[in-house]
Amino acid sequence: MSPQHGSQPIQHQFNPYSDNGGTLLGIAGEDFAILASDTRQSVDYSINTRLSHKIKVISPPVTKEMKLESTDIVGTKNSVLFGTNGFSADGDALTKAFEENWKWYVHDQNSNVETGFEFLNENNEEKESFMSMQSAARNVQHLLYGKRFFPYYVHTILAGLDEEGKGCVYSFDPVGSYEREQCRVGGAGASLIMPFLDNQVNFKNQYIPGTNSTERRKIEYLSLDECLKLVKDAFTSVTERHITVGDGLEIFIIDKNGVRSEYHALKKD
Amino acid sequence: MSQQDPSTINGGIVVAMTGKDCVAIACDLRLGSQSLGVANNFEKIHQYGKVFIGFTGLATDALTLSADLKYKHNLYKLKENRGIQPEVFANLISSTLYEKRFGPYFSTPVVAGLSEKTGEPYVAGFDCIGCIDAARDFIVAGTASDQLFGMCEALYEPNLESEDLFETISQALLNAADRDAISGWGAAVYMITKDKVTKTYLKTRQD
Amino acid sequence: MAGLSFDNHQRNQFLQSQHNVSVKTTSTGTTIVGIKFDNGVVIAADTRSTQGPIVADKNCEKLHRMSPKIWCAGAGTAADTEAVTQLIGSKLELQQLYSKREPRVVSSLQMLKQHLFKYQGHLGAYLIVAGVDPTGAHLFSCQAHGSTDVGYYQSLGSGSLAAMAVLESEFKMNMTKEEAIKLAADAIEAGIWNDLGSGSNVDICVMEIGKDAELLRNYRTPNVREIKEKSYKFARGTTGILRTEIISEVEIDTSV
Repeated sequence: MSPQHGSQPIQHQFNPYSDNGGTLLGIAGEDFAILASDTRQSVDYSINTRLSHKIKVISPPVTKEMKLESTDIVGTKNSVLFGTNGFSADGDALTKAFEENWKWYVHDQNSNVETGFEFLNENNEEKESFMSMQSAARNVQHLLYGKRFFPYYVHTILAGLDEEGKGCVYSFDPVGSYEREQCRVGGAGASLIMPFLDNQVNFKNQYIPGTNSTERRKIEYLSLDECLKLVKDAFTSVTERHITVGDGLEIFIIDKNGVRSEYHALKKD
Repeated sequence: MSQQDPSTINGGIVVAMTGKDCVAIACDLRLGSQSLGVANNFEKIHQYGKVFIGFTGLATDALTLSADLKYKHNLYKLKENRGIQPEVFANLISSTLYEKRFGPYFSTPVVAGLSEKTGEPYVAGFDCIGCIDAARDFIVAGTASDQLFGMCEALYEPNLESEDLFETISQALLNAADRDAISGWGAAVYMITKDKVTKTYLKTRQD
Repeated sequence: MAGLSFDNHQRNQFLQSQHNVSVKTTSTGTTIVGIKFDNGVVIAADTRSTQGPIVADKNCEKLHRMSPKIWCAGAGTAADTEAVTQLIGSKLELQQLYSKREPRVVSSLQMLKQHLFKYQGHLGAYLIVAGVDPTGAHLFSCQAHGSTDVGYYQSLGSGSLAAMAVLESEFKMNMTKEEAIKLAADAIEAGIWNDLGSGSNVDICVMEIGKDAELLRNYRTPNVREIKEKSYKFARGTTGILRTEIISEVEIDTSV
């Protein structure tokens, strides 16, 4: 009960933001990257939907040949996996804004300014043009900082392959401060999962047995299979303890073959 | 004066876990004043016969509560001429905390011990007004409780031998503390088995 | 040591003026229901307790016994529902001993509401009171400020709307015990799935006229955690150690 009750006029104010819960997680491997999120969207104690998509695959066109090679491909190796978590309306708006930028960038890069014709590769085929991860990240910074005083209320994570084909993850705060990282969790379950990833991905606080606590366990790249296990266990764990996380787990994996996705059910309580 | 929550001024965490015929309880050693580290030997776990209790939250209240419980435990032993059972101690703490329902201690205790009759491991946690959380697996408390929940939920499995439980509780504590600016600065783990109690100081980050 | 102590009240009032005090109490976000049937009454609850958005206890007990045949389902501040229920429970037992009569549901309700009214809503206990006594089966609900309601079916807690939706569409008069149990469990499940403050399992207590009350703890367990992808057991010796001591039990410790 407020102490001013009755003694002060009540002031009403519009709150433009809401918290839609959920968790977003990115891990970079040696030659792949993973971006995963739960699919619950909630506000206060209510569930809006059990199947929302917090991650968008922004990809150059997937050709028929690629589809023939593997049917479940949803993007090329030059895709940007774009994930947002927090206030989902802002997340959707930011995703759209970035997608627009990405399309114009790819279009401009593909056309010869002099002739107006599109570039062709050695075999006289239209070449796949794309946006590099570092350029994508810088562009997202500008989008976010552009609203410095009325921010997009989201934690953003990008995943993809860098110019050497190595997995990369970029994470952003709501106003555009960003960093390339091995792994990052955003959203409601961040504080629960992040120490687990420190421990299981970067082997923090682990020593080699028999060395009398002098030699740290060496960091090594985890296999895709190992990473997927960690992601699933991280999400089932946080589903147990955080009320806004649950319903489903959507995982996107990008490697040299392109992007594919997995869905796993999470607890719905 | 700054806007601060009393239960997060001093910082610190406690975690307890059950294993096969054993139970473990661990704490960090930091005492701080907001971001300023004050002491690196502030033990949060106190011993009452064979029962161990960790106190997190506002340090002054934790100490007051601990002294009050020591007094009550001593009287219990004098009256009953036997040690107190962890379940009984949990109820004693609950009523002690609820007595101050409208002026609470800003401390959340964690109890760990072995039930004398059955030898079953027992852990329990409380909120600051004495609501008992009697879990079968683990209890967490303190400024990094979210991080501890995540670590424990992921790492824990039932019926670990004491040596394995030691590794699990230590890793849960250490990695949780490293993601909290006001926890850490050393750690101590108590491993309680039927015929032995050991206390181990861990090697931790010092930042 | 009788009653509540206000020792720290003035200090905390001062602290509140200086600091941004937020006391994090465990609240049972909760879905609880009660349903009358032809020969008795049944109450049910979920088993999730929360501290903010974090689940503090996945399998807590929200069904409290006040006397062998009068049970209470509690929502709101967990410590308050437990304490108020224990307090009235012990008063009921004393009353029974000196009056040599079985306690009645109406008297437990009267004691509860008078106690809660005295505290002007500061005790955050929202209860569904039910039981059988020499006058029959009874079902009531009781709000933190002390107001009470009578009805054939009741629901309370953050999941009360989800539960009431089920009750309103499925309830009928003079159900059998089995029908009532199923309806109660279904109503709680509506809360478990659709309200974030409720979750885990369904607990049920059946109080039938002429029979002992029956607590069906974890009557339904639709939320068992699936097995993890891998074990996270560490190799022994992974954690860095400074030193180890062996601790002895202290007899009567007189140190300060």
